Amino acid sequence: MSSSTSNPLPDVEPQASTSESSEYKPQQSTQYSFKPSPENSKTSTKADFTDDEEKKDDSMYVCNICLDIAKDAVVSMCGHLYCWPCLNTWLETRPTRQLCPVCKAAISKEKVIPLYGRNSDKQQDPRSKVPPRPQGQRTEPDPNTGFQGFQSFNGADGGFHLSFGIGAFPFGFFASSFNFNDMRPSARAPQHQQGTPQFEEDQFLSKVFLWVALFFFSWLILAEA
Amino acid sequence: MANMAVSRIKREFKEVLRSEEIAQCSIKLELVNDCFTELRGEIAGPPDTPYEFGTFLLEIHVPETYPFNPPKVKFLTKIWHPNISSVTGAICLDILKDNWAAAMTLRTVLLSLQALLASPEPDDPQDAVVASQYKENFEMFCRTAKHWTNSYAKGPHKFPDFDTKIQRLKDMGVSEFDARAALSRHNWDLNRATEQLFS
Ligand SMILES: [Zn+2]
Ligand SMILES: [Zn+2]
Repeated sequence: MSSSTSNPLPDVEPQASTSESSEYKPQQSTQYSFKPSPENSKTSTKADFTDDEEKKDDSMYVCNICLDIAKDAVVSMCGHLYCWPCLNTWLETRPTRQLCPVCKAAISKEKVIPLYGRNSDKQQDPRSKVPPRPQGQRTEPDPNTGFQGFQSFNGADGGFHLSFGIGAFPFGFFASSFNFNDMRPSARAPQHQQGTPQFEEDQFLSKVFLWVALFFFSWLILAEA
Repeated sequence: MANMAVSRIKREFKEVLRSEEIAQCSIKLELVNDCFTELRGEIAGPPDTPYEFGTFLLEIHVPETYPFNPPKVKFLTKIWHPNISSVTGAICLDILKDNWAAAMTLRTVLLSLQALLASPEPDDPQDAVVASQYKENFEMFCRTAKHWTNSYAKGPHKFPDFDTKIQRLKDMGVSEFDARAALSRHNWDLNRATEQLFS
């Protein structure tokens, strides 16, 4: 936020208004009075307002914070629409009280849903300081069979090679190769994986497969002996 | 980002202009400067309250961080109310402090202040003297608040006995406001007010 007072509006001429502010009179019935400024600035101000008017009436998708059409739109779990930069600033202003500005429901950065219109790329906000908008979370369709794990592993990685050196095997192998996140055609950015339900689920699956594989290997060793 | 405060205020003006309350002359909003940072609000005293038929002016300062932080608002019109300082006009209202939310607007602020006039919260006072009078001597509070509304906000109710006492103190060289404040604080007991003023 830089100063707004030192940056005059393009459409309203700056004006020394201290003397005028003191001569406010309650009897004046003008509810919407711009200061009597030079003619041209006044008309341009009016034009600006009509432009805004048309834009606003065009769409109901207005951000609840800036009151403009939402850019990089996100929606909270309570259903309230914001620009991502607006909501992000709000959440950073009150780190200890993360509430929806409209309904005061608890909200968090992890639990907002981005909205992608067909041409949403063109709406990208130029403000680069804002952290990236949270990504959408994809959930894979339910697997049909109970032993889905190995199938998908084989399918994606071109085969589960048992000829792997047993000596080099134990845990490093699983830590590096048994990474299900890499196999998913996921739109998620790496920095947002932690803590999501998807991530937890992957962790759980990895553990299950680790034990199944360990069992499988021991069976192989026993069978050979 | 700095322009967000300005563009918000512009849009809010339209909201206030279109609102029913404007049509009912219940709230008003005006610009004081061209930077859209200083505004003047006006609310009508709510019906069936001591503030009825009064018109109360508010000074509104819009911070650069608006709407992420609340506007700074105070009463310019002197008012006798538990949650508003009778001396400075400072307001004790949660939405102007911790309970502010970025989706609130100047219109909702003005309406909230009007609601505050209708339902004071003496247990969370800004002016402790007014609050205790409200709780302990409600009838005296109502008369005093009506008198202030008449004196400062063009309210219709006159109280000749109050005016007489104020005049007595003015004759002693006390300013009208100081006389009114002292008498109001002491339930219009002239002796105690005099004591306070000259002690
Ligand atoms: Zn916005
Ligand atoms: Zn909400």
